[in-house]
Amino acid sequence: MAERKQLTPAAPDAVLRALADPHRREILRLVQHAELPAGQIAASFTLTQQAVSQHIGVLKQAGLLTERREGTRRLYALRHESLEPVRELLSEFWPDALSRLKKAVETAHPRPPKR
Amino acid sequence: MTAEILNDVIIATEHIKAPPEVVFPYFTDPALIVEWIGNRADLDPQPGGVFSLDMGEVVARGAYIAVEPPYRVVFSWGISGSDALPPGGSTVEVALTPDGDDTMVVLTHRGLPSTHVGNHRAGWEHQLGRLLVAAG
Repeated sequence: MAERKQLTPAAPDAVLRALADPHRREILRLVQHAELPAGQIAASFTLTQQAVSQHIGVLKQAGLLTERREGTRRLYALRHESLEPVRELLSEFWPDALSRLKKAVETAHPRPPKR
Repeated sequence: MTAEILNDVIIATEHIKAPPEVVFPYFTDPALIVEWIGNRADLDPQPGGVFSLDMGEVVARGAYIAVEPPYRVVFSWGISGSDALPPGGSTVEVALTPDGDDTMVVLTHRGLPSTHVGNHRAGWEHQLGRLLVAAG
């Protein structure tokens, strides 16, 4: 039975940084529905195998990939739940904006104190 | 201040101690909108008019759909250069409801790409991530 590594939950900024590179996003697209060996991922790119390995390392660090060993091969797949922190960040975008709006309006139009 | 995500809809609310007449121009006047979102705005607040907001390296683009001072404004929204969330690809509706002398703001962002569909997921979340970083 292959061992599935437990990866630490990722912070949103680590996820965002990992997603900031187009090659890494392409890797995630490749493995979003199917588990693939590193060699097959590398074969989809014109990058060196070493460069692809580095990208895989960043994605793994961010918790975006699962890694499973099968004999001498390492298989990678997208860890879908790792995108949740970004989703949560998104849910904070408009509330954060509206609280800045509240501050802007109430600062520019202060209510006279009640007497 | 609260927010929730229901499928592809985000709803955010805020209570502001000023009447809707005071709050409304903050969605239509370029000099006022940048006090709370973005750092440069190009706004033409009439149906079909441009809605463009620079937020650092991210540019939100869309058009006004409805402009009904001082209670309601609707504009389309998207990120320039994003296939996943193209300019005008989603819709933001803002309702300003009087609450005594104050205003209840309810902002509904509809038509966001579902986070459960495959290909574009990483792409649009990245774009929105950059947006968040720029706005934060």
